[in-house]
Amino acid sequence: MHHDSHTRVFTGASKYVLDEELAKIVNISIALEMPLLLKGEPGTGKTMLAHAIAESLSMPLTILNVKSSLKLVDCLYQYDTLTRLNDSRFGDSQRDVSNIEDYIKMGKIGQAFTSDVRMVLLIDEIDKADTDFQDDMLDVLDQMQFDIIEIDKTIKAKHRPVIIITSNAKKDLSDPFLGRCNFHHIAFPDQDMMREILRVHFPDLDYQITDACVKTFYQLREFQGIEKKPATRELINWIRALRTDPDFRAKDLIVGKIPYLGILFKKSPDYQQAIAQVRRLARR
Amino acid sequence: MFVDFFYLLRESGIPATPTSFLRLHKALALGLVEGLEDFYTAARSILVKSERYFDIYDRVFAHFFEGAELPDFKGIDINETARALLDEWLKTPDMLADALGISQEQLKTMSPEELLQYFLDRLKEQTEAHHGGSRWIGTRGTSPVGHSGFHPGGMRVGGRSMGKSAVKVALERRYRDYSAEGPLTQAQIGEALKRLRRMVPEGPKDQVNIDETIRETTRNCGEIEIIFDRSLRDRLKVILMIDNGGWSMDPYVEVVQTLFDYARAQFKDLKTFFFHNTIYDYVWEDPPRAYKPHRVEDFASWDRETRLIIVGDASMAPYELMAQDGSIYISERSGRPSMDRLNMLADLFPHSAWLNPTPPRLWPMTRTIGLISQIFAMFELTLDGLERAVTHLMSKN
Repeated sequence: MHHDSHTRVFTGASKYVLDEELAKIVNISIALEMPLLLKGEPGTGKTMLAHAIAESLSMPLTILNVKSSLKLVDCLYQYDTLTRLNDSRFGDSQRDVSNIEDYIKMGKIGQAFTSDVRMVLLIDEIDKADTDFQDDMLDVLDQMQFDIIEIDKTIKAKHRPVIIITSNAKKDLSDPFLGRCNFHHIAFPDQDMMREILRVHFPDLDYQITDACVKTFYQLREFQGIEKKPATRELINWIRALRTDPDFRAKDLIVGKIPYLGILFKKSPDYQQAIAQVRRLARR
Repeated sequence: MFVDFFYLLRESGIPATPTSFLRLHKALALGLVEGLEDFYTAARSILVKSERYFDIYDRVFAHFFEGAELPDFKGIDINETARALLDEWLKTPDMLADALGISQEQLKTMSPEELLQYFLDRLKEQTEAHHGGSRWIGTRGTSPVGHSGFHPGGMRVGGRSMGKSAVKVALERRYRDYSAEGPLTQAQIGEALKRLRRMVPEGPKDQVNIDETIRETTRNCGEIEIIFDRSLRDRLKVILMIDNGGWSMDPYVEVVQTLFDYARAQFKDLKTFFFHNTIYDYVWEDPPRAYKPHRVEDFASWDRETRLIIVGDASMAPYELMAQDGSIYISERSGRPSMDRLNMLADLFPHSAWLNPTPPRLWPMTRTIGLISQIFAMFELTLDGLERAVTHLMSKN
């Protein structure tokens, strides 16, 4: 493990607005060599953070998207038995059928371990997997090694990856899991932070429009009975749409005329709700 | 020494582990923490593993560090607190050894006093090296304007202002909404009910069974024969019975309604019934409890693996539960007390739970709550209660 990596400090990337609190936590986690578990509602930039870390520390990023059906071994390596079976039957490939290692492919965690440079490993939406998977995975990440049973070989991490784990669940993960992670909860950005984020994405956006959009957006988030509240991503797309509309004026928003609601509310019951509530808003 | 802080956190209900406490000291030793703001952030990310506890953490932190001085390490006695801490560490010697940076063999040769002294020495070392034992509060963060020289170069800081002291930040109680004590919100219910999912083989045949494939291929003289298995799909049957009648449930109807909405999206196999106060001969499929009655006896033919969740305040006059014709509705007086019906349901569905929206501290004051909780495991209708209920529902027996 390289000790020079300790001195590398994460300070944010070009498209990511870093909360100072979060920057400290990232740096502490890197120094302590602990995975960092990020929770927070969708759209608070949990996944983006890993991209930003990778960019600012100039490390390659590998992303493990967790699905409920995922098995731990698939994240480590895959033994491609079907190809081997096929090769043994037809024998028309470059691979050596008697050498199992030719049929071992590294999974995402395996890739992060075997890489020649230190990587950022993003384990996205860990809450989708079951508890056993989570605990077993943390064992592997703790020991920084795993065994390939088929060829009786131990893969050790050449460089300890910087590990970021995200979870959308309000439910806590298991205690052993939490015990091995540092934890941070990203709150939804407040209005000032959101303006900052918009400034990064739209450097040329006029102050009046930013102001009107942000105010409207936070008003819309207050709507009752919405299942999926619009998040940062939706706001950015919405502003993008507003900018391409030559007829759009910032004043429209102030008087309650809000175009392109469909970009903000993606579920049709939410959309209906939003339209109804916008109308009520405009009448006031 | 932050042992007191650590213990205060634990006494306040934050499940901070001794291992994480040692890890915090490792972070201090690495020189990563420069002042109380850093300590606030670092200690929270290392010790506190759920946003539900962030609010408690803020309160404890503000209480503990308001105007506090960094304690002097000289002359610390090996007091009872520290000894208790040590006892807890010794339950997991490997983690302890790891955190202290010594081998397990070394650890075994040390007496408890030596071990504690070693630990205190390590704390002392890093304190002298980085902080000189000076006051933490007041040295940073009290200025109303940001400390521009404080950020690592080029960091883009948005949102929270730097000028605030950590205590002030803590006093803001930004995480109050995430506290576990709070009432159940829509999103929380959805998450909690998700835990009810259980995996059973039900999906399409789309997964290759390697062992069978190889066996069949061999049988087939080497001609490849690929065998598919069913993939896993969750299919949990759930019956929800909701007490939606009477003024005593009125304040909770909205919470319960939310629970419903989410439950509907969560399971394919969900039946919902309504009752008033307690269950007699019938439960109803329609909320006004008028058009679609369902005989309680008919549940006998249902799958025993179905999870039965009853939501109600279980508060009524004792005779409604005990008397043979206890129902407040004349048409329902069949001659069997409600207790019998509840017992029958509990027998029919071994996996059952009763969710009660009234706070548990009030439970001992209502006799019927005591009686019903002898039949059904009773949990409060909060996120914590739901979690425990779900754990109960998913247990094997």
